[in-house]
Amino acid sequence: MTASDGRPASDLAALLDMRDVVVRHVLEDGETVEVSPRATPDGVSLRVDVGEVVLLLGPSGSGKSTLALAANGLVPHVVPARMGGTVQVGGRDTRTHEVPTLSSAVATVFQDPDAQVVTGSVLDEVCFGPENLLLPVAEIERRAELALRQVGLWERRAEAPERLSGGGRQRLAIACALALGSPLLVLDEPTANLDPAGKEEVYDVVREIAASGRHGVLLVEHDLDAAADLVDRVVVLDGSGRQMVSGPLRTVLSEHIDELVALGVWLPVATLAAVRLGLRDGQGNLPVTPEELATLLSARSAAGRLPEPRVDAARSVAPGATVIDVDGLTVRARRRTIVDDVSFRVTAGELLAVVGANGAGKTTLLKAVAGVTRPPRRTVRIAGLDPARADVADLASRVGYVFQNPEHQFVTGSVRAELRHGLTVRGVAPDESEVRVEEMLERFGLTDLAARHPFLLSGGQKRRLSVGTAMICRPEVLVLDEPTYGQDRERAAELLGLLDALHSEGTTVVLVTHDMQVVADHATRVIALADGRIEADGPPGLVLSDQPLMRRCHLRAPHLARATSHLPAPWNTVTRLADVPLSSPTAPQTVEISA
Amino acid sequence: MSAATVQAPVVAEHAVVAAPARASAPRRAFLRTANPLVSLAGPFPLMVVVFFVADLRVLAAMGVATAILVVAGTLPGPRVSAAVLLGAPLTAGIVAVSFGFWVDAAAVASTPVLVQAGPWAYHAGQLEIGLLTGLRVVDLMLLALLGALATTGPDVVRASIQHLRIPYRLGYAALAAVRFVPRFGHELEVIRSAHRVRGVARGRGPVAATRRQAGYAVPLLAGGIRHAERVSYAMDARAFGAHSTRTERTTHPWRLRDTALVLSFWAACVAALVLAAGV
Repeated sequence: MTASDGRPASDLAALLDMRDVVVRHVLEDGETVEVSPRATPDGVSLRVDVGEVVLLLGPSGSGKSTLALAANGLVPHVVPARMGGTVQVGGRDTRTHEVPTLSSAVATVFQDPDAQVVTGSVLDEVCFGPENLLLPVAEIERRAELALRQVGLWERRAEAPERLSGGGRQRLAIACALALGSPLLVLDEPTANLDPAGKEEVYDVVREIAASGRHGVLLVEHDLDAAADLVDRVVVLDGSGRQMVSGPLRTVLSEHIDELVALGVWLPVATLAAVRLGLRDGQGNLPVTPEELATLLSARSAAGRLPEPRVDAARSVAPGATVIDVDGLTVRARRRTIVDDVSFRVTAGELLAVVGANGAGKTTLLKAVAGVTRPPRRTVRIAGLDPARADVADLASRVGYVFQNPEHQFVTGSVRAELRHGLTVRGVAPDESEVRVEEMLERFGLTDLAARHPFLLSGGQKRRLSVGTAMICRPEVLVLDEPTYGQDRERAAELLGLLDALHSEGTTVVLVTHDMQVVADHATRVIALADGRIEADGPPGLVLSDQPLMRRCHLRAPHLARATSHLPAPWNTVTRLADVPLSSPTAPQTVEISA
Repeated sequence: MSAATVQAPVVAEHAVVAAPARASAPRRAFLRTANPLVSLAGPFPLMVVVFFVADLRVLAAMGVATAILVVAGTLPGPRVSAAVLLGAPLTAGIVAVSFGFWVDAAAVASTPVLVQAGPWAYHAGQLEIGLLTGLRVVDLMLLALLGALATTGPDVVRASIQHLRIPYRLGYAALAAVRFVPRFGHELEVIRSAHRVRGVARGRGPVAATRRQAGYAVPLLAGGIRHAERVSYAMDARAFGAHSTRTERTTHPWRLRDTALVLSFWAACVAALVLAAGV
C-alpha cells in the first residue's frame, strides 16, 4: 500500500454517522401506497471510524440489511421506504445526495455474488465503478490493479467473472468496492452463499483491509464464527429493530450473554461451548474464537479439571433395512465426469450429510439418487425403486426432494393448495387429504397463512412450506439440497429442528450442506466428496475432526473441532455442541436453543 | 488463491493494463481491429440485397467473397475456418436439392430431366430454384457470421455510445439484460425438473404443455425481477449514472480505413445489383 499515513485526524467526520435512524418500508401497488406500520430498524445510532469493523447483529427482520442499504443511500432513494433520522457518509447527508454520487464515500458488497456482475471480464468489472466516476483512464487502471492485487485476483484479470468460484466472485466484488476509492465499506452478508473455503478466502481479504487502517467496515454477518476475530464493535438490534446494546464484541458477549441467547441471534460456537462448561478467562470474559476457547480448554485439561464429554447414544443408528443402495454410480455431462464411480448404502433412520466444495458433485449425486435426473440403470435403488425406470409419480410418493430455492417448486396459488397438490396428484381421497393438509399446516406453523400465495411468504416460511409439500406424501426418504443456503441462522435452526423431528420419527434424511457445524450437530453420518469421488464416509465425529482430509476436500473443520482437536482423547473428537458437558443446572436453558 | 498473494506490491507507474482480447483473437485480423460499427453497417445492406438478387452466379460470388472475408478478415481459427469453407457449399447443396423437391415440377417441365424414376422426374429447373434459396440462406448466414465473429456485444454498445449518441445508461442496461439470458436458461431448467418432481400437468398434448409453461412463468418472473433489482442496486452502488458521461477505457475511433471498409461493402451492394440486372 502506498499510503504512508492514511489515518485522518480525529476531528474529521466519521466515515458513517447514523442518528436515530427509523425506516418504514413502503409497498407501492399502482395507485395505492402502503406504509408499513412496523419500523425496522427503529431508532438506531451508530458510528464507523477509519480502521474499525462494526458488526450489526440481530434476529431476522430486525432491519440489519435495511440499515446497510441506508448507509449507501439506496434507502430511501431507490428502495421504496420512509426514513427518519439522519445518515451522514463522510460528512455528506444521504438524503440530499443521490446514490451514485455517494459511491465515492461508501462502497457496498452484497450477498449474492451473481447479482453483482455487470461486465464480461474481471478487469472490466473492477474498472466499471471508476469509469462511472469519470476518472482518467490511467487512474482507473492504477486503482484496478491495486484492488485486484489486494484480493489476489490480478493474475486472473482476463477471465470471465463467471469462471471464478463463489468466494472468488465475492473477492471480486470487494475489489470493485475498493476501486471506487471509498473509505467506508458496507458488507451485507458477504459470505452467506459461500462454501467454507470461500468464506475463509473472503474474510482473509476483509482482515487485510481492516488491518490496512485506511478503511472502515460496516458488516452484517450471521456466521459470527467466521468474523469474530476481526470485529471491533458490535451493535445489537432486538426483534423489533430497536438498538439493544453496543460495544466491543467480547464485552457485549460476556456481559449480555443471556439476553443475546434469549434474542435468538446466532452466537460464536466457542462462546456457547464456554457457556455450557461455565468457562471464563481471568477477567471474566467469554471466548469468542475457537482459538481462545482452545486456550481455555487446554488450561483446564492440564489442571485436570475438564469433565468428560457426553456421548449421546441416540446418535448411533442401529443398523436397519437398506433404503438407499448406490452401486458404481457415474454421472457425466458435457464430456465431464461429475460423479465418479460412487457406491454407498444408507439404512433406514440415518441422517446423512453430503459435504464437499462447490463443484464437487454433491447436487448432481443427490439428483441422480433421488431420480430427479435419471441415473444409469441398476446403479441406484431407493425406497425399493430403480429411479432409472420408475414412474415419476411412484418415485415422488416415496422420495421427497427439496430444491435449493423453494420458489422453484411452488405450483399453485395458495399455501393450502400447495400442500394439497401432491395428494391430489396421487389420488388421495378429499376427506383424508383435508385432514392431512390441516395437520401439516399446524405442524409447520402455517395455519394462519393457509390462504396466502406461496411467493408472498417470508424466506423461512417458504422453506418450511417446501419441506411440508415433500413431507405430506409421507415419503420414506427426504432429500434436501442445501436447505440452509442463503438463510440466516434462526431460520436454519428452525428448519433443522424440523428435520431432527422427522428423523426421529423414522424418516431417512439425506442433505447437502456447506455448514460443518450443522453436520456435526445433526448428522448421524457424513460423506465427503471431492471431484465426484467419495473421500470419506463415516460418523461426523471422525470425519470432521480429520484435518488433512477436510483440507483435501476444500472443507474446514467445524468451529468447535478447531478448539478441541489438539486436546487429549476423548475430547479431541468432540465436534457437537451437545457433547460439551453442562457444568451448572442453569446452563441448559441457555444453550438448548442453538444445539 | 492464498492469503499471501494479498500483499499489494508497489504498482509500476505506467502499468500496462491491456483490455483482455477475445480468446485467440489475433490483433491483425483487419475486421476485428476495425470499428465495431463497420461489421453492422457494412454487411447489413448486403443482407437486404440478397433478397433482390435472383442471379445464381452473383449470389454464388457473394457467398464466396463473404466466406473469404470471414476467414481472412476475422481469422477465426482452423476449426471455424474449415467449418465455414466446407460447410457453406455443403449447406447450399443440401438446401438446393431438398428444396427442389418442393418446386412445382409442372412449372419447370421444359427444363432437362436430371433424374428419372418411373413417372417421377427431377428437373434441372427444380434444382435451379432450389439453388437460389440455398445460396440466399448461406449468404445470409455468412453475412451474419461476419458480424458475430468480427465484434462483440459490449464493443458494439460502446461504439454506438461513442458514435451514434446512444445514451450510455440505455446501452449498458441493454448489455446487463443480455447477461440475464443464460441465467434464465439455467433457472428454467431447474424449475422444469422441480415441477416434474411435483407431478405438474403430466400428460401430452398442447393443453398440458400450455399449463406446464404457464406454471414456469411465475417462479421465473419472480426470480428474474428480484435478480434485476439486485443487479440495479449493485450498479447504483457502483456510481452508475453519477455523471452524464462515463470514461471508456476502450475507445473505438472511426478511422479513414473504417469509412473505406463500409464504402467497399456498399460498392459490393451496387455491383451485385448492377450485375444481377445486367445479365
